[in-house]
Amino acid sequence: MDSILEIRHLEKSFGDHAVLRDISFSVKKGDVICIIGSSGSGKSTLLRCVNFLEEPTGGEILYHGKNAEKEWKRTLYNSKVGMVFQSFNLFGNHNVLENCVLGQMQVLKVKRVEAEERALTYLKRVGMDAYRAARPAQLSGGQKQRVAIARALCMEPEVLLFDEPTSALDPEMVGEVLYVMQDLASAGMTMLIVTHEMSFARDVASRVLFMDGGVIVEDAPPQQLFSHPEQPRTQEFLKRVLARQL
Amino acid sequence: MNVPTSFFGWVSFLLDRYGQLFLQGTGVTLLVALSGTVLGFVIGLLVAIVRTIPLPKGPWYRQLPLRVVYFLLNVYIEVFRGTPMIVQSMVIYYGSMMIGLIKRGTPVLPAAIFIVSINTGAYMAEIIRGGIISVDKGQKEAATAIGMTHWQAMTHVVLPQAVRNIMPSIGNEFVVNIKDSSVLNVISLSELYFTGKSAAGNYGRYFESFFIIACIYLVLTFTVTRILRLVERKMDGSKNYTIYGSQSDSHSSITISEEEA
Repeated sequence: MDSILEIRHLEKSFGDHAVLRDISFSVKKGDVICIIGSSGSGKSTLLRCVNFLEEPTGGEILYHGKNAEKEWKRTLYNSKVGMVFQSFNLFGNHNVLENCVLGQMQVLKVKRVEAEERALTYLKRVGMDAYRAARPAQLSGGQKQRVAIARALCMEPEVLLFDEPTSALDPEMVGEVLYVMQDLASAGMTMLIVTHEMSFARDVASRVLFMDGGVIVEDAPPQQLFSHPEQPRTQEFLKRVLARQL
Repeated sequence: MNVPTSFFGWVSFLLDRYGQLFLQGTGVTLLVALSGTVLGFVIGLLVAIVRTIPLPKGPWYRQLPLRVVYFLLNVYIEVFRGTPMIVQSMVIYYGSMMIGLIKRGTPVLPAAIFIVSINTGAYMAEIIRGGIISVDKGQKEAATAIGMTHWQAMTHVVLPQAVRNIMPSIGNEFVVNIKDSSVLNVISLSELYFTGKSAAGNYGRYFESFFIIACIYLVLTFTVTRILRLVERKMDGSKNYTIYGSQSDSHSSITISEEEA
């Protein structure tokens, strides 16, 4: 089957400092790819390069076989490749419903009635439809992140990028967000997830990428990567992290 | 004619005589300050939106047009912030008369509004730039990430929050304009200060006349500040919100009210 996204030899450097070096992998429909690695390994930068929040300094990204930077209109590409942020980034000047409606009306030119209907559908899916009239500041972290997921879903994206979606949450709220993500995964949503939640990666991912020092060290299905990591760097990382988490 | 002998006697005498004139002057002052602030705000918004457009990638000649625009906007801001409005009004008014843009004897009001707007615009551009910086950059990123253009992100997400944050400074500008429109008396705009000067000159009662004028200015600025505080509170939205539906009844709702701490 053809890839939705194909990352080829992606490079990113800030000045002299190379953050990503020769990153290549492809994303197929229905893939749930978790990207793990210690902080500073370039995971988030990679995700941010995929939707051009950071401009890559080398390589290319193909979306349905066409160069995402040159052959796709940036706004269209961005609406098809959704993003969920670590710090939620809900629009502070709009209530929950409006957060989900705004992009549809502005970018997809959907009529308000239809946009609201779709917004409520997705808000219901993440269990936040009751809070449609609340402002972001009135919600808990977990609630905000669920609304942020609904906002991304409202654009009916083909791929969703998650940049450490649970890292800013209090421990008791992590579960509700992971639950929603798991639900999306089982419904066939294509997702690219930067995470520190090893058990989530093990249970939900179809593939796990381990990054270190700006390169992908290992790219394998979770059973293999977690039980029989091939690379010494992966083994060392997992030993350190799993001892703490499990 | 009975000439008053006391301070309050003169005050009420002048009020009686020139009340109508003062009222007109107040109207002109308010009109110039209000339209100057509003137009200046619009100028500031546009300048700020343009100045926050990210430079395109690529060779220098693709960045050139935007860099030229940045440069011109900076010149505008520096010139109008760096010279007194009283001097600007002389230069602009008599300058445009010299090059034949306006004729001697044309009403001075439009020129006055133009001067205050363009002057305020220069300050507003910087104030709004500050406001934009104060909005978390994740807001722009989130808007970009769902496919919004720079313009859409600015007008629907960033600027509304930026403007809320700078409301106190906008209020300041309005108050400053109410007071500083008085310098427009140099191009014979019959605003509040100008009417006070006329009234004072006729009887040589400067203290009494300008005491009245001072009181009117104070009432104006105080009222404006209060109104702006109300606007700010309105912008913050309701402290209450409603939660819709419950497990047993999907049409029920409860309203959560947050008391101010």
